[in-house]
Amino acid sequence: MSARPELIVIEGVTKRYLTSSGPVEALQDVSLSVEEGAFCTLIGPSGCGKSTLLGMLGGLVTPDQGRLVVDGRPLTGPDPGRVAIVFQEAGLFPWRTALQNVEFGLELQGLPAERRRRTATELLGPLGLSGFAEKYPRELSGGMKQRVAIGRALALDAKILLMDEPFGALDEQTRVLMGEWLLDIWRRTRKTVIFVTHSLHEALFLSTRVAVMTARPGRIKAALDLTMEYPRSMESSEMVALRAKLWSEIREESLRAMR
Amino acid sequence: MKVVALRLALLALLLAAWEIAGRTMNPLLGVPPTAVLPALRDLLLLRSYPDLPASLVLSVREIATAYALAVAAGLGCGFMLGMHRLVGRAWGPMLAALYAVPAVVWYPSLMLFFGLDAASKIAFGFLLGFFPIALAVLAGIRQVNPQLVVVARAYGAGTVTVFRRVMLPAMLFTLVGGLRTGLALCVIGVIVGEILGSKAGMGALINHAYGLLRTGDYVALVLVTLTLVVGSDVLASLLEHRARRWTE
Amino acid sequence: MRIRILQLVTVVAGLAAWELAARSAWVDPLFVPAPSAVAPALLRIGGDALAGLADTLGKTALAYVLSVVLGVSAGIAVGSVRLLRDVLSPYVIALYGIPKILVLPWIVLLLGYGTTPAVFYGTLHGFFPIMVLVMGAVRDVDRTLVTVARSLGATTWQLYWKVLLPAIVPSVLAGMRLGIVFCLLGVLVVEMFAGVRGMGHVLGSFANGFQAPELFAATALVSAASIAIVLALDHLNDRLSRWRG
Repeated sequence: MSARPELIVIEGVTKRYLTSSGPVEALQDVSLSVEEGAFCTLIGPSGCGKSTLLGMLGGLVTPDQGRLVVDGRPLTGPDPGRVAIVFQEAGLFPWRTALQNVEFGLELQGLPAERRRRTATELLGPLGLSGFAEKYPRELSGGMKQRVAIGRALALDAKILLMDEPFGALDEQTRVLMGEWLLDIWRRTRKTVIFVTHSLHEALFLSTRVAVMTARPGRIKAALDLTMEYPRSMESSEMVALRAKLWSEIREESLRAMR
Repeated sequence: MKVVALRLALLALLLAAWEIAGRTMNPLLGVPPTAVLPALRDLLLLRSYPDLPASLVLSVREIATAYALAVAAGLGCGFMLGMHRLVGRAWGPMLAALYAVPAVVWYPSLMLFFGLDAASKIAFGFLLGFFPIALAVLAGIRQVNPQLVVVARAYGAGTVTVFRRVMLPAMLFTLVGGLRTGLALCVIGVIVGEILGSKAGMGALINHAYGLLRTGDYVALVLVTLTLVVGSDVLASLLEHRARRWTE
Repeated sequence: MRIRILQLVTVVAGLAAWELAARSAWVDPLFVPAPSAVAPALLRIGGDALAGLADTLGKTALAYVLSVVLGVSAGIAVGSVRLLRDVLSPYVIALYGIPKILVLPWIVLLLGYGTTPAVFYGTLHGFFPIMVLVMGAVRDVDRTLVTVARSLGATTWQLYWKVLLPAIVPSVLAGMRLGIVFCLLGVLVVEMFAGVRGMGHVLGSFANGFQAPELFAATALVSAASIAIVLALDHLNDRLSRWRG
């Protein structure tokens, strides 16, 4: 493999929820490790628990069994200095401008206004939002809003970036463009990204590693390492074969989830 | 289940507090629930206020008359303003501006004009109940999807049919809500009118008890009046449910 | 533009018709004075009426501040704790719907005549709509915003201060807009019922004295003041809501 350290280690994680029809096991004995600097995609059928797993990595959900070790230390709660999260809904504060939204995490940390403004303004450039600092969320398109959300997550400079279907609410064309843009940001900032998606295309186009989850209760069924160079051609024979392989793994689980 | 238990516990706590406070207070200023019960009994047996039934009937008649007028005028004005766009857009804001004035400022003028009799109470109740009904009609009309009207017309429906089968069901929910609010406000208007100055009706009895510091009777009368208020709202909500089922 | 003209025409036509009706004795001018009689009456009552208005507005301002502070605090406190909200909601809504005038005689009995019962009753009137609106707003805060803030490390205090409060501002403003009319109403009612000063008392005295032109003039004065205050609040509301578009 490679000599890179493993930044994220998930060991034997289980999570149960109590629903009106009895206890439901969302995740069962999930184990996964991700090396530093990787772009790891979690893919699987609906209800397989990928969002729950991501929530755990963000410190928002605690496992019933097992543990998560991030950057050498276990995770006990939200830790924006280590892990940043971007959700499917941009979740921008409508009463704050784009710049003020990006500043939000820094504000919570108590950073003085001058430094906050500088850090946030510097981020706007790579985000492609230089002229939009004073705009309110209602004045921004879907793609722009997600970029602000990503900027807000990047502002605290955590090593790890978690993304829960961040482009799910966008139209096809915007999704593709956002994917390309995200790759650019990833390579510039050298973050470790865990990316949850439904889309095979995104998984293959973006990641260095793809972890396939089973239908509920979720486990890691398979993990593929992708070593192709960026930017990737989706038509190469290697890619086509990979796609077929990935699809066969997922298809089985999707059918199981539907029953 | 826990929630219901806590609610009952809170109620019991409040009643207990009332009981304790009532017993330690000057009986002219405050009476405990245990003293209210005999007062209520005397009231309902017509011993303390023999003209209770007559007063109750009068108040109910005032409310009913005020409401009938409010509904007629409210629907009429609402539809007129709603159907004629220019008139609606001109007079609508003027109507809304009047809403910004606390209705009670009109009451002295009504008392001057109508005297202390039932008429001023009816007028005041009417004034209060009219606005929510008219505004509800306006809002209801505005939220009818114009596409529906276009489709109906395309199928050859005439104006009356369009109104009955397309507009009315679409705006019924808002309309009924307004009618219910209108009733609640008519009730409040009549009661306020009676308490601020009248010779007969529930409000007059309340004033009488208060004036003579018959606090127990006062509370009993308030409870009876409250029953009237709540009863009318329950009636309205039942009709609202019925109307809702009608349109489904 | 045409709307403005129609409105102006309506007002002018209305005044003209009123004037005509009073002059031709179609309505008894003793009860419904002509506008031409009301206007000079306005000057006659001038000093006393303005003093009464100032008194009323003073009490209203006090009641208003109290209802906003208490209503918003209670709304946030009850709305943000699920158990409290579930248990107390029916009580709050019931109290909101009860005609508070029924307890007015008792309040006057306890607090006497004058300023105290007026402020108390005004606060009572204004408190409930504000509390109910704020409670609803707190309940409806977008959950994603809370999750985002938590993921960025917000403490509970920061959640309240930086997420909840800004999110409910529109409802607070709506409540404040509603509350001012309710507070003023409450104060006027007490002044009419048991007042020695204030516009409510002034209106009542004119009515009792059959001074119709003075009564109409005073009524117009109070109405104008109320409309002006509400318009000012609306303007403030618009200025503070730029981000909503």
